[in-house]
Amino acid sequence: MHELMATMGKALHLLVSFDPALWEIIGVSFRVSLTAILVALPPALLVALVLARVAFPGRWLAISLVNTFMAVPTVVVGLVLFMLLSRSGPLGEWQLLFTQRAMVIGQIILASPILIAMLHSSLQSIDQRAWETARQLGAGRLQAFAMLIHEARFGVIAAVLAAFGRIIAEVGSAVMIGGNIEHFTRTITTAIALETLKGEFAQGIALGMVLLLLALLLNVLLGVMRGRGQQMVSA
Amino acid sequence: MLEVSRLSHGFGRRPPLWEIPHLRWDGRSLVHLRGDNGSGKTTLLRLLAGLDTPRRGTIRWTLDDGAPAAPPRFGDLLYLHQQPYLFDTSVAGNLRHVARWQGWRGDDARSRIASMLARCGLADHARQHARSLSGGERMRLALARAWLLSPRVLLLDEPTASLDRQAIDDITALILSLRETGCAIVLSAHQQSVLTERCDAEWHLERGGLQVGDMQAGIAEPRPLGADS
Repeated sequence: MHELMATMGKALHLLVSFDPALWEIIGVSFRVSLTAILVALPPALLVALVLARVAFPGRWLAISLVNTFMAVPTVVVGLVLFMLLSRSGPLGEWQLLFTQRAMVIGQIILASPILIAMLHSSLQSIDQRAWETARQLGAGRLQAFAMLIHEARFGVIAAVLAAFGRIIAEVGSAVMIGGNIEHFTRTITTAIALETLKGEFAQGIALGMVLLLLALLLNVLLGVMRGRGQQMVSA
Repeated sequence: MLEVSRLSHGFGRRPPLWEIPHLRWDGRSLVHLRGDNGSGKTTLLRLLAGLDTPRRGTIRWTLDDGAPAAPPRFGDLLYLHQQPYLFDTSVAGNLRHVARWQGWRGDDARSRIASMLARCGLADHARQHARSLSGGERMRLALARAWLLSPRVLLLDEPTASLDRQAIDDITALILSLRETGCAIVLSAHQQSVLTERCDAEWHLERGGLQVGDMQAGIAEPRPLGADS
């Protein structure tokens, strides 16, 4: 018990003293995950809009596929990307394996189904009259699309928060295609795994606290967004 | 001018709601589209607005110079839902969206919006959230948004349904003002009101067909299908 308390104390000290090694890891995690979300969001919005508004044969199958991909284990994504990006793989020439770019690709693959599914649900709940009204009042297709996103903004923010929460906390893909290289591809989750194996718990607990804090923050924000979205729908 | 020929529409495998062999409208009058609930008034208005595609037949709009305008440009021809959709922003914000889509900026946009809010009696509500307006005020805001575009034709779906007497009077005054600016209007209503009494012509959806009557000429019975209005 005493040892646990001492380790917790060390972890807190690392956090509040702005330990450079610890905050560098946090920085890599946020940079990779934010980049992945920013890249994944525009195409996810487009796909979600098509699924929500355009009736085409096999739409239900496409929606089922998206929902299925939400449950794909992160290690499977890591495995497939490892095989594609490894030197002998079909994309080996790109030399992306064990780089932050590779990690971003992995996280885009993990974030996209969540983004599409939640954005689809959110855009589908917007009244059909919104699109018709905007178009009739002179909005071009892109402007009407922007109007729909504005009307669904709380759902869009909720989707981004949920996807961000999922990818920043994933470890399988990050460790397999990032390689957990110090000062380069070491993220919060891969560092926790490594430090635990080494028996050095202080840094792991400090990073775990960051993740817990982030999870709390994201959940509070999600709750607020859901509340506002429901208020808007019932208005 | 509107020219409709052999138009019919229905849903799913059910028989068509109605069939209109021929209809010509000069596109200058105020028309009351009459019919019972479920007779297909909304369906006809949506087809005329180009929002839906008919199962069969053609709808042809022509401009004053005779050039075909099919489908008509949104903004020239506007359909207003029975329950207008108001964007999730303030009353003035709803008009600002329209101004932005038209490319109006700065003082020009502000003065157009302020004048339209005043004309529609909404100046005191400019900062209020649009969705907190009463039924009559919502319809006035929807008319104000449409009026900003100076449409040639307005298709109004039950604009006075579920409104109290005062709100009906306000909406009637606005629609008649719009009419005076040269905007042709077709409005659907299943009941007579002060508004429908002011209409120039009547289209009556009945027993799967459309009958056309001239109310100003004092024709009591609608003329048969295919007559010019």
